[in-house]
Amino acid sequence: MRAAIEAYDEGADVALLSKIHPVRSHSGAAEGGINAALGNASEDDPEKHAFDTVKGSDYLGDQDAIQVLCDEAPDDVYQLENWGAVFSRTDDGRIAQRPFGAAGEPRTAYAADITGHVLVHVLYEQVMKRDIPTYEEYFAWKLVIHDDRCQGVIAWDLLNGGLKTIGAKTVILATGGAGRLYTGTTNAYACTGDAMSMALRVGVPLKDMEMMQFHPTTLAPTGILITEGCRGEGAYLLNAEGERFLSRYAPNAMELASRDVISRAEQTEIDEGRGIDGNVLLDLRHLGAERINERLHGTRELSLTYAGVDPIHEPIPVRPGAHYHMGGVDTDLDGLTNVTGLYAAGECACVSVHGANRLGGNALMETITFGKRAGRAAAEWALTHTTVSVPPSIEADTERELKELLARSEGERPWAIRDELATTMHENFGVFRREEQMLEQGRIVEGLRERYERVVVDDKGDIFNNDLTQALELGFMLELAQCMVVAGLARKESRGAHARPHDYPDRDDENFLQHTMTTLDGQGQVQLDWKPVTMTKWQPQERTY
Amino acid sequence: MGDPFERRLGVKVAYYKGCLAALSAKELDTSTKALAPRVGIELEELESVTCCGAGDIHEAEPDYYLHLNARILAYGEATGAETLMTVCNVCTLNLRQANVSLQKDDDLRERVNRNLEAVGVPPYSGGIEVKHLLWMIAEGEGFERLQESAHKGLKGLKIAPFYGCQILRPSKILGFEDPDRPWSLEAIIQACGGEAVDYPAKIKCCGFPIIQAREETALGELIQPIEQAMEAGADAMVTPCPLCHLSLDAWQQKLEASTGRSFQMPILHLSQLIGVAAGLEESELKFKRHVVPVTPVLEKLEA
Amino acid sequence: MSVTDDFVRSEYATMTVALKIWRFDASTGERELKDYEVEAPEWACLLDVLDLIKDKVDGSLAYRKSCRMMICGSCGMRMDGAAVLACKERMKPIVDRGHVPVISPMGNLPIVRDLVVDMGPFWNKIRAVKPWLDAGYDEVAEKERIVSQQAMNVIHKEALCIMCGCCVSECNSMESDPDFLGPAALAKGFRFVGDPRDQDGVQRLNEYNEEHGIWDCTRCYFCNERCPKGVDPRDAIAKLGAESIKQGIDHDMGAKHAKWFITSAKTTGWLRETELVPKTQGVVAAIKQTKFAIKLFRHGKVPLPFPPHVAEGVEEARGLYDLVINEGRRGALGIVQAERALAKISEEHPEGTPAWGTRSNGDSA
Repeated sequence: MRAAIEAYDEGADVALLSKIHPVRSHSGAAEGGINAALGNASEDDPEKHAFDTVKGSDYLGDQDAIQVLCDEAPDDVYQLENWGAVFSRTDDGRIAQRPFGAAGEPRTAYAADITGHVLVHVLYEQVMKRDIPTYEEYFAWKLVIHDDRCQGVIAWDLLNGGLKTIGAKTVILATGGAGRLYTGTTNAYACTGDAMSMALRVGVPLKDMEMMQFHPTTLAPTGILITEGCRGEGAYLLNAEGERFLSRYAPNAMELASRDVISRAEQTEIDEGRGIDGNVLLDLRHLGAERINERLHGTRELSLTYAGVDPIHEPIPVRPGAHYHMGGVDTDLDGLTNVTGLYAAGECACVSVHGANRLGGNALMETITFGKRAGRAAAEWALTHTTVSVPPSIEADTERELKELLARSEGERPWAIRDELATTMHENFGVFRREEQMLEQGRIVEGLRERYERVVVDDKGDIFNNDLTQALELGFMLELAQCMVVAGLARKESRGAHARPHDYPDRDDENFLQHTMTTLDGQGQVQLDWKPVTMTKWQPQERTY
Repeated sequence: MGDPFERRLGVKVAYYKGCLAALSAKELDTSTKALAPRVGIELEELESVTCCGAGDIHEAEPDYYLHLNARILAYGEATGAETLMTVCNVCTLNLRQANVSLQKDDDLRERVNRNLEAVGVPPYSGGIEVKHLLWMIAEGEGFERLQESAHKGLKGLKIAPFYGCQILRPSKILGFEDPDRPWSLEAIIQACGGEAVDYPAKIKCCGFPIIQAREETALGELIQPIEQAMEAGADAMVTPCPLCHLSLDAWQQKLEASTGRSFQMPILHLSQLIGVAAGLEESELKFKRHVVPVTPVLEKLEA
Repeated sequence: MSVTDDFVRSEYATMTVALKIWRFDASTGERELKDYEVEAPEWACLLDVLDLIKDKVDGSLAYRKSCRMMICGSCGMRMDGAAVLACKERMKPIVDRGHVPVISPMGNLPIVRDLVVDMGPFWNKIRAVKPWLDAGYDEVAEKERIVSQQAMNVIHKEALCIMCGCCVSECNSMESDPDFLGPAALAKGFRFVGDPRDQDGVQRLNEYNEEHGIWDCTRCYFCNERCPKGVDPRDAIAKLGAESIKQGIDHDMGAKHAKWFITSAKTTGWLRETELVPKTQGVVAAIKQTKFAIKLFRHGKVPLPFPPHVAEGVEEARGLYDLVINEGRRGALGIVQAERALAKISEEHPEGTPAWGTRSNGDSA
């Protein structure tokens, strides 16, 4: 939406297309906040923000991109406030900022614990203000590539049925991640990595796909997110013995260490028998009822509904859960991919500002800043080029492929494949990774891809056929899983979210201070390449919290 | 004292009758007063009180609404009773809502009390609970006394209970029973020897609050309970709210005019329904004050 | 997560959940109430059960879903006639009491298929309230505007709205007048009227005072009851009413009706019922109602206005009016000031206030 608004304001004829209504986007579930060096709660500046982000990324982030993010963040946040975002306020009426993990200053601007919700709605308000046409519940399936450039999207119209082609001089992919690859994930059902896979299929490399962030505080069994804002407000993490175990892993930052560090600490505690039914405990009780109700109201609601626990009186059982894909569509600083006319921004993209580990509060900021930049760049290109053409053959091919899928009546339905994928990814490609498990996962995914070739869609109808779209989503996810495994095997070191304590426990800057780049070959097999990390002023240091 | 029902001491309540029972629904007041001793309720009528604002003052001048209701609560508390009894849904919600605000927010109560005292009203300490007549007799002692009193019975009359809105919702403030599956009117109908008929619109709106400003919309709401009660074979409807009563009874003719259909559905106040079963006199029940005649029901009972 | 077999098989105890679902086939226009039964983990919510049915029993069952954590607003539907978010409703207590709930699409919106409704009319109404902040200038300021948290708290509840449509589904007024803006749109409207940064409050209030606006609300309180996020849309509508009166926007009959109650309380203490119609509808319209009024009069439904029925101590009520009118709590603030107490109820009973009546009708409904 941020990209659409910017493109519109640049004078382009723009439309939004989304498989769910824009306000249903999973950005709305982001709870904690958005990072910008406003300096409202301390002396802060973009330079400090950039350093924290570089360090947090375990030096895999591209430093030019990080600089852009941190420099532009304050003005972008002010703009959101001007548009009407309901931020929480300081005593002197400015945007309030709270401490977040691995941030040297209290830098996370927030709206209680519903920041994402507030931002999604304010952006949609601006979309309505501009009356930007919106193709709601259009399931994007194929990018139209013609004359070596992207010229539109072919989508399935959920409400009415049928494939619809939307021609466009430029296309911006601005979707979320692929958390649905895992059983325990904070992600919505919609987070199936569609845009990453669509780009992959037209020859765009996916960068750093092994980097899936595990959030340290998710609810068992479903992985519903409990915000980092809890720890920002001072919550403790305890093991079964009631110990604040982070004193052994991150003695200085404690609960505000970076996410990868805490998730690994939790998993170690659980694996070594100091967990409680596969969880550790997040204790908010000492914050008091008033603070919990005022600043963490949504957390209390979620905890009560999905864990039956009132955090005012009891600690919340939490465990690491798949949360955010640092990797994604490789782009430049304006969101442009290697295909003319095709841009990407947000979680589906990898500029990369997060590298091997994202800091809490940087995801929302990335969507805004790079959404804006992609929107501007795409509009500029569109306004200086005139033609759009979609050859009928592309539409016909897509139509044929769809009919083939719908016509199939013998075979298995997608859910068993989907469940097996999610369970095995969790087992074999989780917080800690072993060579043999990753190899095994590669074989499993290959087998699942074969089974997927014969998948059957139960629903043959036109109207609101999400049986069909869910089958297409599975196709996307299977390809992404394979990219992740290939990239994970190739990265023979431990860096950020990619932890191999058993064979390569240390970071290896000599060999792996570079991005994995995965592409599909003609046979649909994943190919791996490398790309150097952009370094400007920060040289790798040891990373402790 | 020959009457066995009056021998046991009743529970004393501060009785707030509200506007309608004082004006166009006097029959509600007389039947409530006649019924009270038979169901063990001793009424101490509040004289020095005003209208609760009927949701209208709450919407127009909410701060004034709070003070008006605080004043009623203060005079209720001054009687020494633990309960302030209402006979109207709207009064119940208004008073309970104000009571929650005053009981759970010390700062707000202190401010309101300062203003009350400035005009000579005793301060309110938050010590009275607001209950509707329905709740007083749907369970416990009241229900036992009701069963004893309703000796005349309703002889299997089919009665459609109509709750209306503001005795059920918002349940956060009212909360006596499950707002989607209420049981109190049914329990009372059965205890009186009647048969409670079920229909979906019994918990919906009668349209009264907008019947003057948006008559067409209101009638569109009103028709649902009346039509459904008829289809369910009800001989009459009973409601705990005089505003619903006015809507169902008086505006029924407008509904007939606009639809060209005849409903002639008799509408009873809760106190009248029990009053019939308990053998109250016409002078107390005052059915002549109804627009839709209740005679068919009474005749059926006599038969 | 998806309700994987793995979860069903091991780790978690399971239960058998039975549902009846209203299916609707848009191509034929046929409706059918179908029975389903699946094995589900004990922690399953309604949405998990629907997922199991779609996976294991019938892939053609259509419903919306996304976040499964009460924030995206996709999965509004009805259970036993009451609008809910499917992801919020725990099934265990329902199974435990042996109940088989009926699942149907939300009300007041056209059905697309099965449990999917057309949200188009819903969004059209949202658009009708000018749903964006009017800052009064085009250029973005260099920094944020300075606003106190206290001032922003005025719209705290309305900002929670997730646009799920549960309130609209149950709106009694909208059932009767489909053009009524309705609870969601009006709550969105107050989100701006109450925002100290918005410069268009009076114009907004004028627009919301139009025919299908705030005075259409019949105060059935279904919206407050159903809202899964605690927005209390009815209260938002009352806040708009209060702001309108404060701004002197009182041309609507609903506003006149409301104001007459204030006059009554100040002058006689009790409602001056007989004069209510002319004060609301105007004298001419009131005369047209004469026939109706005469009939009511015969039954004592129209008390004589003279001599006025004056409450004891009415001068106290008048005195209170004179006092509070100058204390700066007119308009929406008069309602907002009660929210602290209301919030305490939710804090004490976070999973919903239990009925305090001692009996229950079990499962007879």
